[in-house]
This record gives sequence, C-alpha cells and structure tokens, in this order.
Amino acid sequence: MKINPRNWPWHLLLWIALLIQLWPLLFMISTSFKTMDQIFQSTLNPIPAIPVLDNYRHVLETLPLAHYILNTLVIAGGITLAKIITSVLAGFAFVYYSFPHKEKIFNALLLTFFIPVTVLIMPNYLIISKLHLLNTPWGVILPELADGMGIFLMRQTMRSIPNTLFEAAKLENANAWTVLTKIVVPLIKPSLFALAIVFFINSWNEYFWPLLVLHDKSSFTLPLALQMFISAEGGSEWGVAMAVAMLTSLPPLVLYLVCQRFIMNTFMQSGVKG
Amino acid sequence: MKRNHWYAALFLAPAAICLLVFSYLPLIQDVWLSFHTWNMVSPTMKFVGLQNYQQLCSGTELSKVLFNTLLYVFILIILNFILPYLLSFIMAHGMTSCNFFYRSALFIPSTLSLAVASIIFLWILNPLAGPLHIILSEIGLESPRWFKESGFAIAAIGMIIGWKVFGYNLIVMLAAMVAVPQDLLEAAKLENASKWQIFRHIILPLTSPTALYVFVITVVFGLQYVLVPVNMLTQGGPDQGSTNLVYIIYQYGFIFFQTGKAAAFAVLTIFFYSGFLLLKAVLDKKVHYEN
Repeated sequence: MKINPRNWPWHLLLWIALLIQLWPLLFMISTSFKTMDQIFQSTLNPIPAIPVLDNYRHVLETLPLAHYILNTLVIAGGITLAKIITSVLAGFAFVYYSFPHKEKIFNALLLTFFIPVTVLIMPNYLIISKLHLLNTPWGVILPELADGMGIFLMRQTMRSIPNTLFEAAKLENANAWTVLTKIVVPLIKPSLFALAIVFFINSWNEYFWPLLVLHDKSSFTLPLALQMFISAEGGSEWGVAMAVAMLTSLPPLVLYLVCQRFIMNTFMQSGVKG
Repeated sequence: MKRNHWYAALFLAPAAICLLVFSYLPLIQDVWLSFHTWNMVSPTMKFVGLQNYQQLCSGTELSKVLFNTLLYVFILIILNFILPYLLSFIMAHGMTSCNFFYRSALFIPSTLSLAVASIIFLWILNPLAGPLHIILSEIGLESPRWFKESGFAIAAIGMIIGWKVFGYNLIVMLAAMVAVPQDLLEAAKLENASKWQIFRHIILPLTSPTALYVFVITVVFGLQYVLVPVNMLTQGGPDQGSTNLVYIIYQYGFIFFQTGKAAAFAVLTIFFYSGFLLLKAVLDKKVHYEN
C-alpha cells in the first residue's frame, strides 16, 4: 500500500473505523475456538492459547445441524429463485412494453419496498395459518415472493440493453418470451447472478418472519437456532453460541468474499436513482 | 385493451399479485382489524369502532413508544447516515489510495445476520465478564447493565444496528461521491474555490439524491432491523424502555393476543411512515435541481 504522507490522518481514521467494525467479528471467531476457562480468563486475547474444536463438536452432538442447514438452504434458495423470477418478468414488462399508467404501476410496485414488514406480519400470519402453511418452508417463502427493489434493479439493468435489439426482434416478429430468454437473460447474466447472491444472503440471514412461521424446533433455520443459546441471565455457553453464530455466518461471508466486486456493484446501484 | 397490454400484464402478474396479496391487502386488513377486538383464536370478532384507538391514546404507553421510536431514529441517523456520509466524503475526496480494501472490509458486518450480530454484542456487552466490561474496568469505569437499564438498552440496540448497517450505507454513499465528475472539481480548483465551496456547491447537491435515499432507508429499515435485537435481547424491556412503534405491534399481536390494539398501532405506524415518505417526496423535488 502506498500512502501519501499528507493523508495519514485519514488513514488513521479509517483504521479506527475498521477496528470498530471488525473487532466484534474477532470475538465471534476467537470465542468459538476457546474453552470455557479461556473465554473467561483471557477474554481480550483474540488468539486462543490452544484452539479447541470442543464447541463445534458440542453443536454437532446437540443440534440437528445438517437439518437446520437444509431448512435454511431450502428457504433461502426458494426465496431467491422466486424473487429472481418475479423481478425479471416484471422488469422486462416495464422495459419492453408500453402500456397505460406505466410509471404509476412501477411506483406502486416499488413503494412496497418501503412498507414496514411489521405492519404486515399480523395479516400475513393469518393468511399463512389459514392456508395451513405454518411450520413449512412455503409459509416463509410465499409472502416474500416479490421484491420491489429487485424489480427496480432489473428494470435498470435491462434499460442498458440497446433499444435497436428490441426493435429488430419486434420486426422479425419474435415473441416476447423468446426475446426475454434468448436476448435479455444472456445479456444480463452477471447482474442476475449478483442480484441472486444478494437475495440469497439476505434470506439466509432472515430472522423475524421465520420466527413467526416456524414454531417447531425441527423446522428452524440457523438464525433461529441462535435463540436457544440466550438465557434470561444472558447465556452461559458462550463458546457454543459463538460456534453456532460462526456456522450461521460462514456461507454469507464466503459468498461475499468470493464475489465481492459483483455484490458491491449491485449494492452500489441500489442507491442510485434512475 | 391492446394485445400487447395483455402480454405486459402477463409478465407483471406474478410480482403484482404477490405484492397485492402480501403487501397492499394487509394494509387494508390492518385498518379493519383495528376496529375490532379479537384474540386470534376465538371464532368471532367484536366490532368496537374506535375503542382501540381511544385506549391507545389514553395511557402513557403511546408517548413512551413514540419517544423511544424518535430516540432510535436519532441514534440511527447519527450512526448510519451522518457518519457514513462524512467517511464516504473523506474516502472519495480526501485520499486516493486503497479505497477498495477499506470499503470491502468495512462492509463485512453487513453480510451477517442480525441474529448473529445480536448474540455477538450480547457477549461483548455482558456486564460481568464481557470484553467491554474488562476494558472499561481497566480505565476505572463501571459497565452498565446494557440490556437491563432504560436508555442504555436503546443505546446498545442502536449500536448493534449501527454496526450492521454502517458498511452498506457507506458503500452506497461512496458510489455517489465517486460519481461526482472530476472535471467539475478540476474546474473549481482552477478558479481557486475553497474546499468548503467545492463541498457546498458541487458535492452536496450532486450527491443529494443518494444522500436522501440513504437517509430514508436509515430510518425506514433501521426501525425494522431494531425488531430482531429487541426481540432477542430485551423483549421491549426494561419496563417497555426499549420498545418502539414496530416492536409494539408484534408484542400486542403475538404476545398479548390483542389483535385490535396491535392493528391500531400498525395503522399508526403506517401513518408515521407515510408522513416520512411524503417528506421524502417533497425533498425529492428539491434535490434534483442540478439537472
């Protein structure tokens, strides 16, 4: 790293910010590898004297971990797939067709992004329980099928496709489905992939709605499993709790680290109005 | 309707139907529920008119809830709007090297679950043995019982949300800061404009649409994110000291089983958010004046 000497106060400031942001993570990682004694005796030491896997072993023995991972995977995968499909279809409609009240309909769909989830929980809970979908992945997935932000981002991405391509397709009388699958989707593959990762990370991390829908321990997702390690006194099995937290965080973390640039661009786009 | 319109409708249908059923209809149902009393299990609901709203307004609870909500908003605006704004300005216009490294690393907490964030901070803020307690006692301070004391609970939960959301808001803001055209800045420097003038007349207006967006999501999403740590760590306590407009809906609906009051709070929340989005719409017209 080359640092311009005039800028060192700024770099110092950024390192402080880094420290604050990464410090809690360090505790999650190191605590998960410590024995109970080490946790309380060398709390501040980020490197465990003798790293142990006891906590992870304990998690494997007491929690149906594979089951929880599968539950989380099914729900996160289902939501991601559903949101991608609805967003692509809707985005395509807004770019390819002209129809009355287009702007208004678009805004109405986008506005749902800003409706606070909590005002929706009771009515949605009633619907899901009437459909007998409590304790099922469907109950979690259904209300999240569509996403205003996804529609917005897909429309933005498809707008960058040259209009002449669409015109040519229209002249040749290609049907819309062919245009979408043969021209649009191949062209926007990178954005599609990035958006899918973002959707996946978010739904993997979801806590509140699954908590309402999934009552049975056997239908829990990983973030829900964390709740079991909080007791009224503030929890005592810190090592085990941190091991579960680690296992919950690993997939999103790895996905992020591997696909950083991709994901970054998607997030950055989301704030730029068009 | 033209044939084309039918096709457009067909493509829109999956998203539109979902959003209609699971986003718009619930708003109406909230209003309807708020005029009734019901415990979620009994087969009949009783129409009570405005009684739920009257009860809401008569106690001290509402003012507490509103006060806490505003306190959360205040903390979130500082941690997740003002700080990211300043830092993104410094990163884009104060320095040139290794920005990618910084923003990638600062973003990491945003990829984690709020449930994970809550449990990490529960340990860090543990008043008996947690890391922060040890650091504080080294310098002779006593750690408060964060989640058991009014005021501190809101601060601690604000901290958790701040930690989780900061990086996301930073990169969104940074994208706008970086997009400010270099030639404009060069021209300003040639004319000997001061740093303050450059900020005030170029950067501030050009980044204002994104700033407004970040401001809105800070409040709109921040208040929703608060739900997770509140539910996991304080359940709104101590003595409703960390509850707020969004958590109280859950509390009345799913813990006290008073759907009427829960719905009344939901309607109130819709008004709160609508007012806020209306403010955004008004500001939206102002921030675009550069174009």
